[in-house]
Amino acid sequence: MISDSIANASIAMASSNPKDFGKKKRANRSAKLKQCKLDARREQWLSQVKSNGGCKEEVHGGGMTHGLPAGPENGRRIPIEKLELKPRVEGIYGEMHQYSDSESSPSNSPTSHSSSELGSNDSGANFTASSRSSSSSGRSSSSSSNGCFSGGISDEDEGGVGDDGCLDDWEAMADALAATEDKQQEHIPNSGLDSPPSEKHGGSTKYGSQLSVKDRPFSGDDISNAKQESGGTAIQKSLIHSQAWRPDDAFRPQSLPNMSKQHSFQLDSERHFGQGGSVWGCKNVGPVPKSCPICYEDLDCTDSSFLPCLCGFRLCLFCHKRILEEDGRCPGCRKQYDCDPVEGEATLDGGSLIFRLARSCHMTTTS
Amino acid sequence: MSSSSSMMMMMAAGGGGGGRGGGGGGGGRSWPSTTSVSASGKRIQKEMAELSMDPPPDCSAGPKGDNLYHWVATLFGPPGTPYEGGIFFLDITFPSDYPFKPPKVVFKTRIYHCNVDSAGNVSLDILKDGWSPALTISKVLVALRSIFTNPDAYKPLVQGIGHLYLADRSKHDELAAEWTLRFAR
Repeated sequence: MISDSIANASIAMASSNPKDFGKKKRANRSAKLKQCKLDARREQWLSQVKSNGGCKEEVHGGGMTHGLPAGPENGRRIPIEKLELKPRVEGIYGEMHQYSDSESSPSNSPTSHSSSELGSNDSGANFTASSRSSSSSGRSSSSSSNGCFSGGISDEDEGGVGDDGCLDDWEAMADALAATEDKQQEHIPNSGLDSPPSEKHGGSTKYGSQLSVKDRPFSGDDISNAKQESGGTAIQKSLIHSQAWRPDDAFRPQSLPNMSKQHSFQLDSERHFGQGGSVWGCKNVGPVPKSCPICYEDLDCTDSSFLPCLCGFRLCLFCHKRILEEDGRCPGCRKQYDCDPVEGEATLDGGSLIFRLARSCHMTTTS
Repeated sequence: MSSSSSMMMMMAAGGGGGGRGGGGGGGGRSWPSTTSVSASGKRIQKEMAELSMDPPPDCSAGPKGDNLYHWVATLFGPPGTPYEGGIFFLDITFPSDYPFKPPKVVFKTRIYHCNVDSAGNVSLDILKDGWSPALTISKVLVALRSIFTNPDAYKPLVQGIGHLYLADRSKHDELAAEWTLRFAR
């Protein structure tokens, strides 16, 4: 049942082409998906509590114990999980916020733009700090930015699960499970569908040990290892790893969609991120003009975050391209363009890191 | 910033669909027209509005007829120069790719000036290599006015006048004043 729902989810995720779905639709879908997943988890959890088989319990030992409300161990772990979880939630909200922002206000005044920028920076800061307040602020900001959109998603949230804390636990559990199950699936493509839990458990340990031998030179944070040891720290470590798959991670489930295209694009957006960030550091950069000084067209948000020259002269991308095609000199200072718009990037490693995290978190939650 | 990057991602996901609607729409237009909505037309109209709101001293400029790309400008000879009291007419022609290429400025009034030849062509840095799309006609007019007070005799268009300016300034001024009296009143 578990693996079934997960397979569905991952297939749906893989097939969901962002181009085909509107953002709103997508948000509804992900919310529904999450709800579905949570229901499945809860049902399973209940059935397990009822039957209380030792073997079964051990199957999900890694993930399940986290979700149980009682127990001294759990009391210790849950806050950490929340801390891990919150940024993820915020990642989604942050992204939704961005989408809604860019969608709802095509005029994109510089102030609204910079506010969203600040917001994202904030979320990055909150990642290391804690926890509950940050998510609530993210939520509130998204709801304030766009009524109908965030309304839809938060209704679903609050309507489905009354208690917020409960939701967090369920979510944490679901994610931990998804991580372990995905790994199992990677190696047993179809066996999980109808097999009883005991069998699966045997498989998982077996494959887990195999894995730690052949795939992983550093098996300290391996999930299967962690399960066998069932040491608290190891599990937490693995949880951390289960959240953001790096593209080159050997353990990245193949069911996750290949984001190579977006990844390459991410670099691009990183560049813009960096340039925009340099606005805050640079002294000689004036306020962003409302229209391009060359063609007098209004600057959209991409244009206004575009700072091609260190002299601070802003212009729209069209004019910039046009100038590059001809003599390629900045209209503001008459120096050749290409030299180094790069310098802004160097200062912004932190910014790009935050951004990357937000994306990968978003991916894991939806899958 | 993040909103822009997310938009970039959306565009990538959508195969770059959309882009900007009207942005430099009529950039490829090869002939100037009065009712042009191309980038250059919009820019010239804006400049016209700004010029009428806040004209530089002793200058005026505007479209000659109903052609937005063909202007006539007048410069008044600044006091304290041999050109004082003269009114100099200039033709300004905007290329269709205007802000990216400099406007062409021609003196229609004859002037004794080392940077203006007998055909009225002006040698002014910002009208050639020094042009920047960020410059406007109002700045060009200010620059033209400044060569009335400070001729660039070291890079003259008319060698004789430049030499005379350097060698015998009073003679030069006398001739210039005479030409102003003859042609520019």
